[in-house]
Amino acid sequence: MIQASAKGLDHARQVCRNREAAARQSKAEGRKLMGYLCSYPPLEMITAVDFVPFRLLGDVAEPVTRADAYLASIICPFLRSALDLGLKERYDFLDGFLGTHVCDCGEKFCHLWNYYLPSQYHHFIDIPHLVHEASFDFLKGGLELFQSTLEDYAGWPMSRERLKDEIRAHNQQRALVRELYELRQVDPPLLSGAENLEIMVALMSIPIEDGCELLREVIAEVKERQDGPQKKAARLLLWGSPLTDAGLIELIEGLDGNVVMDDICIGSRHFWPDVELTEDPLDGIARRYLAELKCPRTFRETTESYAKDQEVRFGYLGDYARDWSVNGVIMQSVRYCDTHGYEVPALKDYLDGIGLPNLYLEHEYTMIALAPLRTRVQAFLEMMECS
Amino acid sequence: MIAGQQKRAVNRLESRKLMRPLVDKMYIEGVQAALEGKPVAWCMFNWWKGDPILRAMEVTPVYPENYGTVCAAVGAAQEYLGISDAEGFPTHLCGYGRNCLGYAAKMVDEGQVPSQAPIGGMAKPTLMMGSSGLCDARYKWFQALRRYWDVPVWVLEFPHPGPNEIFLEGTIDNSVRYMAAELKEFVNFLERLLGKKMDWDRLRELLNNQEQVLQVWWETNELRKAIPGPMHARDFWTIMAPCLYGATEKESLEGYKRVFQEVRARVDAGIGAVAQERYRLMFAELPPWHSLGFFDKLAERGWNFVIESMGYHPPPPLELGGSNDPLERIARWTLWFFVSSSLHARKRDYPLVAGAQPYLTWAREYKLDGLLLHPLLTCRTGTFWLGRTTNVLRDQMDVPSLIVEGDIVDLTVFDESRALSQATAFEETMEHYREVRKKRGV
Repeated sequence: MIQASAKGLDHARQVCRNREAAARQSKAEGRKLMGYLCSYPPLEMITAVDFVPFRLLGDVAEPVTRADAYLASIICPFLRSALDLGLKERYDFLDGFLGTHVCDCGEKFCHLWNYYLPSQYHHFIDIPHLVHEASFDFLKGGLELFQSTLEDYAGWPMSRERLKDEIRAHNQQRALVRELYELRQVDPPLLSGAENLEIMVALMSIPIEDGCELLREVIAEVKERQDGPQKKAARLLLWGSPLTDAGLIELIEGLDGNVVMDDICIGSRHFWPDVELTEDPLDGIARRYLAELKCPRTFRETTESYAKDQEVRFGYLGDYARDWSVNGVIMQSVRYCDTHGYEVPALKDYLDGIGLPNLYLEHEYTMIALAPLRTRVQAFLEMMECS
Repeated sequence: MIAGQQKRAVNRLESRKLMRPLVDKMYIEGVQAALEGKPVAWCMFNWWKGDPILRAMEVTPVYPENYGTVCAAVGAAQEYLGISDAEGFPTHLCGYGRNCLGYAAKMVDEGQVPSQAPIGGMAKPTLMMGSSGLCDARYKWFQALRRYWDVPVWVLEFPHPGPNEIFLEGTIDNSVRYMAAELKEFVNFLERLLGKKMDWDRLRELLNNQEQVLQVWWETNELRKAIPGPMHARDFWTIMAPCLYGATEKESLEGYKRVFQEVRARVDAGIGAVAQERYRLMFAELPPWHSLGFFDKLAERGWNFVIESMGYHPPPPLELGGSNDPLERIARWTLWFFVSSSLHARKRDYPLVAGAQPYLTWAREYKLDGLLLHPLLTCRTGTFWLGRTTNVLRDQMDVPSLIVEGDIVDLTVFDESRALSQATAFEETMEHYREVRKKRGV
C-alpha cells in the first residue's frame, strides 16, 4: 500500500515496493500507461502524447513459473522474470508498449511480449549499434515513424513545441537525479546505495512530474537527515546489468562498504545525459539515446590502441571514481547477459590500469542466489583493506 | 560397396565431397596470405554483406565462427574453452566465441599459431570484421579480442526492423539506405587501412557469382520438399560452408551446381536420404558439431531431417527491387534475408507469427511430422524462439517437438544416450499428431 501521507524517502520506498499499485493509481486518475523496456525508448515522445511511461522490470521475489513455457532457462533471467509477471497479469494496466532494440534478447522479448500480451498500442524502434552519422539519420527516420504511429493512436499531432517542453521536463528530472547522486560524494554518503536504487525504481513507476516532486522531497530530507549511512572503509562503484532489487546492495552495505556510485541502467546510466534542445527536437533525442547512453550494447569505434579504446569505452567510470572518491568497483551481471559478459575482462584491465581493486559477481536474479555472494564480497572488502 | 564397409543409415550426397576441400582451402589461404604479408581479416558470418567487399580489396577472410565448429568436431575445443574461462570470460558466452578467445590467448602466449591447432590454425589478423546481425556476440566477441590483437575492428551494421514495422511505409527504404551508407564507410575504412582503392568492377563480378550461388543453393533446398526427402541435414551442414564463407568464389558455384544436379536426380528417381523415410523432421537451430553421429542413429529409425538451421539458409530470389549501385545491391540482398520470411508469409496469407515465422512456413511446405529442437547452453540467439516455435507449431499445425539440450562446442553438456532414449516416445507422439492432422484433413 502507498500511504497518501507518505513523503520523501518513505514515499520512494513505498512506491518502489508497490509499483504496480502506483501504476494502477495513475490509471484510476485517468492516465494512460505505456510500458517500455530498458533505457533506450525515448520517453519524451511518450509523455508528449500524455502517456505515463512505466518501465517493465522483473521481480526477484517471484519464482518464474509461467514464462518457462516460452523462454528457455538460458535466456536473460531478468527478461524471463518480466515476461512471467506479464503472463501473471501483473502488468495488465498497460495501454501500450514501446520496444526498442537494446540487445538481442531484449529485441526478441519485445516481439514476444507483443504476441502474448497485446495492447492497444505497440511499436518497436530499431536502435543502431554504431555511432556514425548515418546511424543518427537512420534512428531519426525510425523516430519519425514512431511519431507518426503515436499521433495516429493519440488522434492529434505532436507539435515541436510540445516535444521541446517534454524534453525540458525530462531534463529537469535528470538534473534532480544528478543532484541526488551528489549527496553521496561526501564521506560518509548521505544516502545509501540501497535507498538510491529504491528511488530510481520509484521514478520509473510514476509520472515524470510526480517523480520530480518526489526527488525534491527526498533531496531536502536527505540533506537534513541525521541517520544516514555510517562511514566505511570501502567506497564502491557498482557496475553492470539491470539491478531492480536492493538485496545485493544491502548485502554489500551490510559489510564494510558503501555503494556511493553506480553505472547500472536502474541508476545513473538511465538518467545521466540530458537531451540537447535542438531546432528539430528529434535530432537531440536521436543523439542522446544513441551516443550519450553508456551501455555496452553500443559499439564504440576502435582506435589506434587497446589502451585508448578502454579510455573511450570506460573513461567515464574513471571520472565517476574520481568525483565520488571511489576506492573499489564491484562489477555485477545477471547470468546469461552477453553484452555485459564480454565486457568483463576489458573493464577489469581498465580498472586494474587505474589502480582500482575490482570484483566480478554473476547472479541468477533471485533472492536466494545472493547468499553465496556474501563470502566473495566479504573477502574482496578484506583484501581492499589489506592492500 | 567395398567389402566390409557398412552401409550408413544416411545416404550421403557424393557431391558433398567437392565442398569440404573448399573450406580447408579457406584456412590454407589465410595462413598463406599471412606468410606472404598480405592482409587477413577475421570475419563473422555476415550474410553475404562484407565478404565480397573484402575479396574485392584482396583481403583474405578467415572465419573464427566456422573454426569453432572445426575445433568442436575434432575435439580440440575443450582446451580453448578452458583458456577462455581462465582469462575471465563468463562461461555462458557463445561457445564459438570462447573457443576463439581461448585460441587467441594461446596464440599470443606462444607467439605463433598454437601447436596442434586444427587444419593449420588461423593466421593473425590485419583487421577484424564483426557484425551486429542477429546476435550480440558477433560484435562483442571481436571487441573483446582487442585484448589480444591490436588491430581495428569494423562492425557491419544490420538493421532489425520489427515484424510489424517492416510493413510500415519507409522502414525498408530507411534500412537499405542506412546499410548502403555504412558499407560506403566500410569501403573508405579499408581504403585508408590498406592504402589502395576499391576495384568496383571486381566487386560487381564477385556479386554476380555470389548471387548465382545463392540462387542455385536456394533451388536445391526447394527440391528437398520432395517425398522422400533427397538430402539430409548432415549434408546441408557439410555443404553450407562455401555459401556462407565463399559465395563469391567460382569453385563454390561449380560445386553447388553439382549438388543441385545430384539432388535433382534423386528427386526424379524417388531416392531418399534415408532408406525408409518414416518421419520427416526439422532441426532447429545449430547442431552439436561434436556428436553428429547422433543423426545416423536417428536415421536408422527412419527419421529424415529434411530441413534445418534457418539462419544458415540462402534467401529466396530477391524481391526488394534493384539498383546498379553495388553497395545498395548488397544491402538489399542482406536485408532480404532477414525480412523475406514475413513478407512471403503475408503474400501467401499464412498467419504472421513473428520469430516462429520461417519454421511455420517450413512445417507447411516441407510436410513435417516433427521438430527436433536443440537449445544451446551458450547461444541465446539460436535458442530464444525455440519455445515459441514449439507452441506455434503444436497449436497451429499439430506438429510436435522434441527438445534435446546441448551446445555447439562444449560436448560435456550433450547427453546423446538420454536423447536417444526419448526417440520411441516421440515417435508415438508424431504418430498421434499424424492422426490428428488426418482428421483435420491436413
